[in-house]
Amino acid sequence: MNIAAFLKRNVGWFALLLVAAVLPLPLQKQQYTMVLFMLIVLYAVLATAWNIIGGMAGQLDLAAGAYLGMGAFTTGTLLLRWEVTPWVGMFIGALMAVLLSLLIGYPLFGFKIKEVWYALSSLALCEVLRVIFLMWDEVGGPTEVYLPTVNSPLYSMRFTTATPFYYILLVLLVVALVINFRIRATKLGYQLLALGEDEDAAEVLGIDARAAKLKALVIYAFLCGLVGGVYACFYGYLHPSFFDADISTEVAIFGIVGGMGIIYGPLLATILLVGVRELLRARLGGGLEGLYLVVYAVVLIVVALYQPRGIAPLVSSVLQKLRNALAPGKKEASWR
Amino acid sequence: MENHQPLLKAVDLTVDFGSLRAVNHMNLEVQRGELVGLIGPNGAGKTTAFNALTGLIMPNEGKVFFKGHDVTHMLPHKRCQMGMSRTFQVIRPFVHLTVEDAVRVGAYNRHGERTVKSKVDQVLEMCELGEMRNRVCADLGLATLRRIELARALATEPELLLLDEAGAGLNETELAGFMKLLHRLNEEEHITLLVVEHVMKMVMGVCRRIIVLDSGEVIAEGTPEQISANPRVIEAYLGKRAVL
Amino acid sequence: MTDTLLQSIITGVLMGFVYALIAVGLSIIYGVMNVVNFAHGDFVMLSMYLSYMAGTLLVWDAVATPLITVPLLFLFGFITYYLLIDKTLRQLYVVQLAVTVGLQIFLRSLALIVWKAQPRALQYSIIQGNIEFFGYSILTSRLIAAVVSLIFIAAIAYFLNKTWAGAAIRAASDDLDTASLMGVNYHRTYALTFAIGAALTAIAGGLLMSFQQTDPQGGMRFGVLSWCVMALAGLGSLPGLIAAGVIVGVAEAVAVTFFDPRSRLLAIYMIFILVLWLKPRGLFGRK
Ligand SMILES: Nc1ncnc2c1ncn2[C@@H]1O[C@H](COP(=O)(O)OP(=O)(O)OP(=O)(O)O)[C@@H](O)[C@H]1O
Ligand SMILES: [Mg+2]
Repeated sequence: MNIAAFLKRNVGWFALLLVAAVLPLPLQKQQYTMVLFMLIVLYAVLATAWNIIGGMAGQLDLAAGAYLGMGAFTTGTLLLRWEVTPWVGMFIGALMAVLLSLLIGYPLFGFKIKEVWYALSSLALCEVLRVIFLMWDEVGGPTEVYLPTVNSPLYSMRFTTATPFYYILLVLLVVALVINFRIRATKLGYQLLALGEDEDAAEVLGIDARAAKLKALVIYAFLCGLVGGVYACFYGYLHPSFFDADISTEVAIFGIVGGMGIIYGPLLATILLVGVRELLRARLGGGLEGLYLVVYAVVLIVVALYQPRGIAPLVSSVLQKLRNALAPGKKEASWR
Repeated sequence: MENHQPLLKAVDLTVDFGSLRAVNHMNLEVQRGELVGLIGPNGAGKTTAFNALTGLIMPNEGKVFFKGHDVTHMLPHKRCQMGMSRTFQVIRPFVHLTVEDAVRVGAYNRHGERTVKSKVDQVLEMCELGEMRNRVCADLGLATLRRIELARALATEPELLLLDEAGAGLNETELAGFMKLLHRLNEEEHITLLVVEHVMKMVMGVCRRIIVLDSGEVIAEGTPEQISANPRVIEAYLGKRAVL
Repeated sequence: MTDTLLQSIITGVLMGFVYALIAVGLSIIYGVMNVVNFAHGDFVMLSMYLSYMAGTLLVWDAVATPLITVPLLFLFGFITYYLLIDKTLRQLYVVQLAVTVGLQIFLRSLALIVWKAQPRALQYSIIQGNIEFFGYSILTSRLIAAVVSLIFIAAIAYFLNKTWAGAAIRAASDDLDTASLMGVNYHRTYALTFAIGAALTAIAGGLLMSFQQTDPQGGMRFGVLSWCVMALAGLGSLPGLIAAGVIVGVAEAVAVTFFDPRSRLLAIYMIFILVLWLKPRGLFGRK
């Protein structure tokens, strides 16, 4: 494929990337908005990574918080104890997350634990780690452990504004999306989709269910671990609450509401839902504590009930209609 | 040496569901190149036997040999990589995939990224699914989904194919086409076939050897003529299916 | 040492019966309708708050509050079924998860608005004090909670096995399509099932309020607990659920006494993971 054709086919993505890249320029001064955008991108990376194990392979993983926390604690502790720069530390943290995922995934997939039971055991992993780090005073403990600034802010990834973190996470988002597209177009992607639909049927077609699911899990854990490193540096401290069951479920919800297995679905759902949530928080937050969450919950339920295949198919059919209106007769490949 | 052994052999195969014995000390041999029918009244244990042969359930007793190797405890995907695949009686489509993608899943069994596309095209053409290659499986009818399931299994390039009522629900013309396809697979593609069928006309017309199962036990075995004259078979069928 | 151990085992066993009661509700919802209710623990939380309300407004004793909260939770379950669950029955289980997680967030934030973040507890209960039992002292309230829980589990067993509605529920548990073919109106049966499942948490909630406090995040623990009990028990066996509830209760009590109060969830999760690994069908399962 030549480059011009490649650019032309993905013009939407490049436009989006361009917007995302210049977005901070006018907003530099508004720290609140910048933090919000950074959080959206952070969730988007996690949800896009989740698409591999959840959306494609159909394994309802609720351990994003566990891998995130693992990445955060590894990165933070390396910086704290041995002055290892988080730029390196986050990769070591990601590897630790991978190790953890293998430890849990190998037996779970081997015993064919699926659906709710897989979901619950992955959630359990998150909670178990939280309690362990809460009791493990050398590394965690109930009080926050603050990260130092070693050498320079750049070396220890301790920036004073959210903008640099936004860019780091944006890069990770692009990486996560590219990985998704790569997988989707190759053998692993087909295998995962088949496994997500019907595991027995996939197995009699020669698919090694455990191996394929483990590959998906490892990639997902790696990306979550990377995000965890950035997460720790952004907050500037370590705390066992980083092993966050709420983040785990939220990430899965974004993946589901976006549209299972649709690559841009989680991204879309994250932008919409986190956007709605934060908007509500800003509007309603002054009044009753928790009101914005009530409204948010209602939005979530309504979307899940009335758009059970996710919001992405809705959007792509609207896009399709637009395209047909603009250039009739041209057929477009499906987004999936 | 492999060639002198039966392609598939089950010895004393037994499967229990709690107190119910679905397959009872079944012995079975299928030679390379054969086209064997497995028949029996409803609930005789045919599907259960298939599940045990392909590794979807573990037998309580007995062994399964494929190409002379003991595969009793081998996982289904390994058996498929050795050359065994199947279809399901209650269809198990990949509902959100397109026809082409579903077949491609199977084709990856023996093909890498470079050759997979041509394999898919070849199978789609053989199963006459070419025109609907971009349709999503969820939108298709039962008969087509059965054909896709067959195509999927064929794409894995099996040496032995187990078909569980793949011809169910077809009309006269479709059935004739299906029988022709089976002959072609057997003779031109050299695929050994073990087929479960309820449509007697089809079994009798297409199979050269028939095994009859009743209450989990093999009660008869032979050519179509021998089977249709066998009193035990007639009794098994009349006894159980008097309603029909 | 052995004294403390026995003491904590007794406490655990008593709690275990209450856990079993909560898990029975979840188990019939999951077993009959195949619905994954992630908000079940928050039903317990809601029940506890309603008990708290009834207890403070009407100056009722905690153990009497189920008289009000059971009908309320029954109604709540009924409405929830028709508003939400009914529409997810033929969807992927992930949709059920999304909807019930939404419900969970809803209930938690509602509790936060109405009752604020600080824990709430009822002032007193007539069933105060301890009972001496071979030298071990038992909180009377816990003993009563355990006994009442057992009675209601037995009542549910009777209901499922001996009444017409119970038979309809069991028929519907086999298969949605067959049940509706057989003339069972599965919507109504499912609504009943879901409402019963919710109402059972109201009984547990009242009992728990006689010796515990509640807060908006409290549902998490009960949700986890009841899934764990169900994993241990396997589907479809009430005695199994009781045994599993007791195992979980004892593990929790022993972990709290001998290890670290913070480790109570850890003990539960460890059991949960181990059971899934070693006995995917539960310790006492039938299916
Ligand atoms: N998963 C299962 N659990 C319990 N019993 C089962 C299960 N699967 C099958 N059975 C029982 O095992 C027996 C054999 O069933 P099987 O499906 O193998 O028969 P079959 O010969 O394929 O019948 P049919 O012609 O109706 O397809 C039946 O009595 C059936 O009820
Ligand atoms: Mg069958």
